[in-house]
Amino acid sequence: MIQIFDPKVDYNKDYGTPAHVSENLITLEIDGKSITVAEGTSVMRAAAEADINIPKLCATDNLEAFGSCRICAVEIEGRRGTPASCTTPAEAGMKVTTQNKRLGKLRRNIMELYISDHPLDCLTCPANGNCELQDVAGEVGLREVRYGFSGENHLQAEKDHSNPYFSFDPSKCIVCSRCVRACGEVQGTFALTIDGRGFDSKVSPGQNQDFLDSECVSCGACVQACPTSTLMEKSVIEVGQPEHSVVTTCAYCGVGCQFKAEMKGAEVIRMVPYKGGQANHGHSCVKGRFAFGYATHEDRITKPMIRDSIDEPWQEVSWDEALNFAATKLRGIQEKYGRDSIGGITSSRCTNEETYLVQKLIRAAFGNNNTDTCARVCHSPTGYGLKATLGESAGTQTFDSVMHADAIMVIGANPTDAHPVFGSLLKKRLRQGAKLIVADPRRIDLVKTPHVETHHHLTLRPGSNVAFVNAMAHVIMSEGLEDHDFIAKRCQTEAFNAWRHFITEERHSPENTEAITGIPAAELRSAARIYANAKNAAIYYGLGVTEHSQGSSMVMGIANLALATGNIGREGVGVNPLRGQNNVQGSCDMGSFPHELPGYQHVSDDAVRARFEAVWGVKLDNEPGLRIPNMFDAAMDGTYKGMYCQGEDIAQSDPNTNHVHAAMRALECLIVQDIFLNETAKFAHVFLPGSSFLEKDGTFTNAERRINRVRKVMPPLAGKQDWEVTQALSNALGYPMNYNHPSEIMDEIALLTPTFSNVSYEKLEEMGSLQWPCNDDTPNGTPIMHLDSFPIGKGHFSITEYVATEERSTRKYPLLLTTGRTLSQYNVGAQTRRTENQVWHDDDVLELHPQDAEDRGIKDNDWVGITSRSGETVMLAKVSDRMQPGVVYTTFHHPHSGANVVTTDNSDWATNCPEYKVTAIQVIKVNEPSEWQQRYHEFHQEQIGHLHSARGDKRSEPVAGK
Amino acid sequence: MGNHQLTSLIRMANQIAANNTHIGDDIAEAEMVADHMTKFWARSMKVQIREYLEQDGSELLPIAKQAVALLKH
Repeated sequence: MIQIFDPKVDYNKDYGTPAHVSENLITLEIDGKSITVAEGTSVMRAAAEADINIPKLCATDNLEAFGSCRICAVEIEGRRGTPASCTTPAEAGMKVTTQNKRLGKLRRNIMELYISDHPLDCLTCPANGNCELQDVAGEVGLREVRYGFSGENHLQAEKDHSNPYFSFDPSKCIVCSRCVRACGEVQGTFALTIDGRGFDSKVSPGQNQDFLDSECVSCGACVQACPTSTLMEKSVIEVGQPEHSVVTTCAYCGVGCQFKAEMKGAEVIRMVPYKGGQANHGHSCVKGRFAFGYATHEDRITKPMIRDSIDEPWQEVSWDEALNFAATKLRGIQEKYGRDSIGGITSSRCTNEETYLVQKLIRAAFGNNNTDTCARVCHSPTGYGLKATLGESAGTQTFDSVMHADAIMVIGANPTDAHPVFGSLLKKRLRQGAKLIVADPRRIDLVKTPHVETHHHLTLRPGSNVAFVNAMAHVIMSEGLEDHDFIAKRCQTEAFNAWRHFITEERHSPENTEAITGIPAAELRSAARIYANAKNAAIYYGLGVTEHSQGSSMVMGIANLALATGNIGREGVGVNPLRGQNNVQGSCDMGSFPHELPGYQHVSDDAVRARFEAVWGVKLDNEPGLRIPNMFDAAMDGTYKGMYCQGEDIAQSDPNTNHVHAAMRALECLIVQDIFLNETAKFAHVFLPGSSFLEKDGTFTNAERRINRVRKVMPPLAGKQDWEVTQALSNALGYPMNYNHPSEIMDEIALLTPTFSNVSYEKLEEMGSLQWPCNDDTPNGTPIMHLDSFPIGKGHFSITEYVATEERSTRKYPLLLTTGRTLSQYNVGAQTRRTENQVWHDDDVLELHPQDAEDRGIKDNDWVGITSRSGETVMLAKVSDRMQPGVVYTTFHHPHSGANVVTTDNSDWATNCPEYKVTAIQVIKVNEPSEWQQRYHEFHQEQIGHLHSARGDKRSEPVAGK
Repeated sequence: MGNHQLTSLIRMANQIAANNTHIGDDIAEAEMVADHMTKFWARSMKVQIREYLEQDGSELLPIAKQAVALLKH
């Protein structure tokens, strides 16, 4: 069932059962009141929509009705007994009574039974003030418990504090099963069950395990669902119930979940997923739900700092002094080395408004187009590939669209780890029967998870994506599975004919490409038929598609598949890039790339530039600027000397660390704006303290093109929001910026960006969120793109010749390394390493197949040296049959693990997105850290010393560099 | 000025050329590669690769060579 935006819904109210969407409306009478609801709505929800609130315990509106507690019993005219209102669908003409003496007595009797086995410690209970059991006891008028309290009970049941974020107190449990159902229905993990029967019934994680040892993924759905204090956040246990809340948007992945930041004064007590969040509908993952403690971690740097050389200690200075120091340095460099000798990097973690300001600063105040963003290293091929084929650099659907998909192909993405809330929705659809194809070298969780089993896991070899996608298209075209009508009506004929000629060549057949991809031809054929024959087929992809030397070709190949099968322009279909960071889509939209002004408008377009020049009051360069890797090269060559880097840790995240670090050292002025002294800041001359998402106003744009509001819930620790810092730097450079609020920046964005022209903070308040394009043609935004036409008129089939990467396994480097992320950590780990999420992943490990391990005499937890042509590092080994022989895997969440010391400078031919997913390596057993790691440790100690000198303190070193 | 950037540019130009060899017409392919460089490369990169072609150019693939020659000054 798809929940749609309905302004009548009060997202702070629990309607008891989920909303139903139906064109058929029915009218019934409840307590004498005539009520019209959608067919399929429960009596409980129908009543709640009319503000008739039937007491309930086991019902909550993000779970299907269960009917176990019987508190919600009602009388229905002409029917016998007292049916549960949660499980009874409303029917036309029904006459329902929700309150009378008989029902009151029934409810009190039930409550007496519940309370006879429940501690009476309400005043000291953590749920006091927010307990549904307490509320219902009040509502039904419970005055006595005739059974007494001395009988057999569960009051001494042992508590489980194993999870770092919440406690489990079974003595408070009423066995309503809401937690069990939330874990299954909402999260799709099925880690909880009710163990035992009758009086012995109890909630059990795994097989009577602690929460931490069970399959629980700490999404928090059970805690949220619990009507008592059985499952309770430790923060609430410690400090009590919050007193106010603010709705804001998560700053982790590209799903863009909305949360209620529940506060006590300026302190966040807990983050509760917001039911009105149009990307998450009240669900969350362990990161967004719990891992926000980094925002107030002691490592936060809250004072500006400067130094002339990275060999010197930092000096804490005033904002004015730091900004003037930075401005003087930048202008000095430009005078000496030329206008193009400086540039900057915008952040995909900061807001749209902040990103817009940084690129504006670079273009208008620096006077060049040397702006780039971390999207360069993740989804730049998406922008290129989708613009070339579909005419817009963005995914085509809403997340909810997946609930209409009949076949789902996941390529190079690991949604249950990297986009967990979408992963849960996807699993829900799969449990309803949609077919799943996974194309991934590694056996990700989605391949086999409770009640979900993929139809085909295509274990393709790293680097063979384009051969694979061409083979899929070959099957579709050679077996006549294409959508002739769609192609004729919606696609460019000449391009299609050329592509058809290309793709039907026998060399692309699965049989001929099997030697390249490693995918058995019959299996690939079967997968292609599933995709092409489904009524609605959708493709979801991630960095396993983009981070290759043919990343852009692969994106185009995916778009070709969707065009050929007519899977574009309606619910349940489409091409869906899963964006890594919270605002990757937004940072691209906001003109962060060196060749494009906001809204993907090319800098060489005179008319476009003229509009920007008129508003910005400066002449703009009509040539693209440098991309991040070109900046590094130019720095090494001595032509690029100054850089402003906001909220991005290029020294850890970018490939070929030795090269990146050498480039950083070659800079005369590196300005880092961040919340922590990250790896890049160790090479910096100016440190401008940033603000976390909790300390600022703005917007993030998620992977669905959805613009969500970010709202300030606490004052910025350093006194300025990030946009204020950029503005102040611009003013120090002599280019005036005078915004009073990010809403004014958004107004300027709307003025200059045709796809944003109707976006404003007022409209966002009214609608909750907006999916661009949002302009006069689509005033309330565009949930599904390309309904009738493409921005380029007709869809363009692009020819995608497979070109093997230069990075291939050899006798010296026989294994292929591919990198990714885990559920509990995020990107470079700067945030999550400063939370209790460390419990789950406190170090990066190298996963390798048992055969590869045995060949090298490697066992679990052995130290292994990993060598590529770029460098060498050492990690712990984890032997895992998730891997196929010849392919190994690691993450880059911890700086000292040096995953990117090994990755190479190979990159996508069109966008220079690095080829993180293919590195030829050798692995051997070792006894000590690598030389790089020893050098890293020394440099880290030195830089932490420089930080401590500035602060005059001797406290323990930041977690960052452990 | 060192050679880091030039080494990368040669590699990039060759890679763009290698990924645009499907047209079967050298001139059209070179135009496509040149158009890509025009749209996405910084001024300094275009200048540097042109200078390289004028002075040497030996490491450029034939299509890349033709493409660089098409770049406007």
